[in-house]
Amino acid sequence: MKYNRTEISDKVGFLSVIDEKFKTCQLTIRFIVKNDPEYVSENAIAVGVIATTNSVFNTIAKMNEKLSSLYGSGLSHITGKRGDLQVLSVSSSWIDNRYAIDGEDITREMVQIVRDCIFSPDIQDGGFSRENFDIEKKDLLDRIDAEMNDKRSYALKQALQTALKDEPAGIVPYGSKETALRVTPQSAYRAYKNLLKNAQIEISFVSPYENSLAEETFREAFSQTERSPQEVVFRTPSPIKPKIEKVSEEIDVRQCKTVMVFKSDSDDVFALRLVSMILGETPVSKLFVNVREKMSLCYYCACHFSPPKNVLTIDSGVEKSNIQKAEDEILRQLDEIKKGNFSDDELQNALASLDNAFSSVGDSPTSYPMWFFECLCDGEILTPAQKFARFLEVSRQRIVDAANSLKPDTFYYMLSKED
Amino acid sequence: MQKNVITSSATGDKCIHVKHDSGLDIYICEMHGFSTVEALFGTKYGSINTMFRQKGDTEYTEVPEGIAHFLEHKLFENEDCDVFELYAKTGANGNAFTSFDKTAYIFSCSKNYQESLRILLNFVQEPYFTQETVDKEQGIIGQEIQMTNDNPEWRVFFNMLRCMYHNHPVKIDIAGTIESIAQIDADLLYKCYNTFYNLNNMVLSIAGNINADEVLAICDECLKTCEDKGLETVFPDEPDEIVQSEIYEKQPVGTSVFHIGFKCKTCSGVERLKKSVTASVAMSILCDASTDMYRRLLKDNVINSTFGGEVFCGDGYFTVIFSGDSSKPEVIRENILAETERLKSEGIDDKMFQRIKKSAYGSMVRELNNVEAVANTMMNSHMEGVSPYDAIKFTSELKSDDVLSFIRDELRGDRLVMSVIEGTVES
Repeated sequence: MKYNRTEISDKVGFLSVIDEKFKTCQLTIRFIVKNDPEYVSENAIAVGVIATTNSVFNTIAKMNEKLSSLYGSGLSHITGKRGDLQVLSVSSSWIDNRYAIDGEDITREMVQIVRDCIFSPDIQDGGFSRENFDIEKKDLLDRIDAEMNDKRSYALKQALQTALKDEPAGIVPYGSKETALRVTPQSAYRAYKNLLKNAQIEISFVSPYENSLAEETFREAFSQTERSPQEVVFRTPSPIKPKIEKVSEEIDVRQCKTVMVFKSDSDDVFALRLVSMILGETPVSKLFVNVREKMSLCYYCACHFSPPKNVLTIDSGVEKSNIQKAEDEILRQLDEIKKGNFSDDELQNALASLDNAFSSVGDSPTSYPMWFFECLCDGEILTPAQKFARFLEVSRQRIVDAANSLKPDTFYYMLSKED
Repeated sequence: MQKNVITSSATGDKCIHVKHDSGLDIYICEMHGFSTVEALFGTKYGSINTMFRQKGDTEYTEVPEGIAHFLEHKLFENEDCDVFELYAKTGANGNAFTSFDKTAYIFSCSKNYQESLRILLNFVQEPYFTQETVDKEQGIIGQEIQMTNDNPEWRVFFNMLRCMYHNHPVKIDIAGTIESIAQIDADLLYKCYNTFYNLNNMVLSIAGNINADEVLAICDECLKTCEDKGLETVFPDEPDEIVQSEIYEKQPVGTSVFHIGFKCKTCSGVERLKKSVTASVAMSILCDASTDMYRRLLKDNVINSTFGGEVFCGDGYFTVIFSGDSSKPEVIRENILAETERLKSEGIDDKMFQRIKKSAYGSMVRELNNVEAVANTMMNSHMEGVSPYDAIKFTSELKSDDVLSFIRDELRGDRLVMSVIEGTVES
């Protein structure tokens, strides 16, 4: 594998990765901006429109006809969040030219299609074309309505919105029904022009062999684009509330959900991640072994640490009558780590699991750009081995200190309705 | 030990098939340049296998719903330790799943694959069940069942199957019910284990950063030869007709979700794979995002980007399913029926057919890029009775007339079922 990252315009990074084992190419463009409630829905709809149509293939039907003729090439978009930032990605993948039965130059055609999506959207009356805009707006509104369909992710969203309220990270990255409803084809297009001008942009191209076409194409296109990028801050720890905030809602469900949000004022993100691993990220973690296996209270009881906000979440699905029992045991297990009551084996298991995950980077075309994006957010480009070495340096005392820095902030309960 | 190299004429990819002396079929794909390994040790035993007998048995044994899944959970406990503790030492990520027609134990790792493979082969061959551990598991699986009962995608799918199948056990939930798993005890688990976890009924599939000779040496070391006991599974007779054409259920969801499925005739082995490839292309011709129907429904706010389709088939069941979120599923059903009738009378546009075929070929090439997908394809193909690269071959050989015949014969209005989960939440 060979990689090279250059800046092709002001705050526009271009990462080129060559790995001959792949049969496919992957081109991704990421726009990174502050998660601003004024613009989140505009941005989300805009990126939806540009990832499904352009001025040449100006309807979803025409675009899909073209993509399927290019051996089912993919063009997709994701609106997500990283800490206080909104991250909007347009991603495309296609099979390498070697596998084209009729000898087409799929890569040339796909690079051109993606270029046209980014720089030549279908514009009418100073806004996105009404038909394409309406489709994406409906899609977003439906997505907002569908939040409730997946009860586990809904519970996590509700808990984090409470824990991070008044912070950009507390805003859903695609907005609310209210913000989505007021978006117009013109406001979405204005927002998109702002993204092109103001966002930090990261482009990545993964290919089985050296090919400068994508870099040249985007370098040329950005040379004609006015840029005035805004600074973005990747890590902004969330302030800890003086008192735990407990919220609950009753829904007609069979299984209750609990989400416990903890915050830390420690900068030792490596030690905090190890606390999370030992506590509840693996099938040999304290929560899995005790809350699930020994006490049979739940099917899942899992932990996740988010470095951008220094937030640790623990979520579980339990019977209503067992909520208190599960919560007591979760707190007891965290206390065990705070007291240093974890074995060398538990620490080694956590490290082995991380080592396994880091060593897997590079086995899919999407994993390289993801890794480098994470490094960019951390402010330091490291190889997976270098990053793992940072975890190896973490002492038991650092883990104990990190665990003691965690303070309960928000507890959320989804309760089943009484019969 | 018989060893064959299987090669894809379309892409040049290769894998090895070995019929091991123990009775086990082994598939190995060395993927140069990759760092991970994916291994699956699977048995042809899933939720539909509720009635079976072996050579010498006069009667069929009938077992409670959800027992294959329960057994999968319990196999992770050995007499002296938990299997996850063993994997934790190697860093491998261990897991398992039970589907309608198979159970598979999996690990993925990027280091020490040899030791992880020993763990996998050994623990699956060493069951240890006690009444105490069975009782403990009922609480955990009970919560898993409740979780899926709250999942609208799960409910809408099983409601559809219940409207489609009169007798076939595909209509029962993979995990069973709280009541059915209460009937499971250690003896029943041993009975099922000894029947289905015979190496002659199993397959090992391993792909990625491996060496075939090393894999085979570990298999020689760990596999215990099994006598083929002539396992026979049976399914109740299933009429071609559906049970009822529609079902609605209310749940606390923000958007209504639907499944619209055609009940098709069943077949097995190579015929099923050919039919499944044909059905996939037929479905794309009906509802691909480039079709007039898709465009019309999108423009009229009837569907959104969640709309799509899949072919769902196995022993004794074959369906073509359209699904997504919509508040107007009846309109979608009308459009699907109208479009199938139009295709039946007007035929298939050849340009479109060639394009959809290319797209299907492209997605199969993509799967060969992925260690996990390669390991899964090898296992699934073996269980289907076909070769791992047959799907690409059949796709390239597919004719427009085959697809039209499928649409004419199988996509019938009187075999159509619609299942809807409607919201109780104001949006």
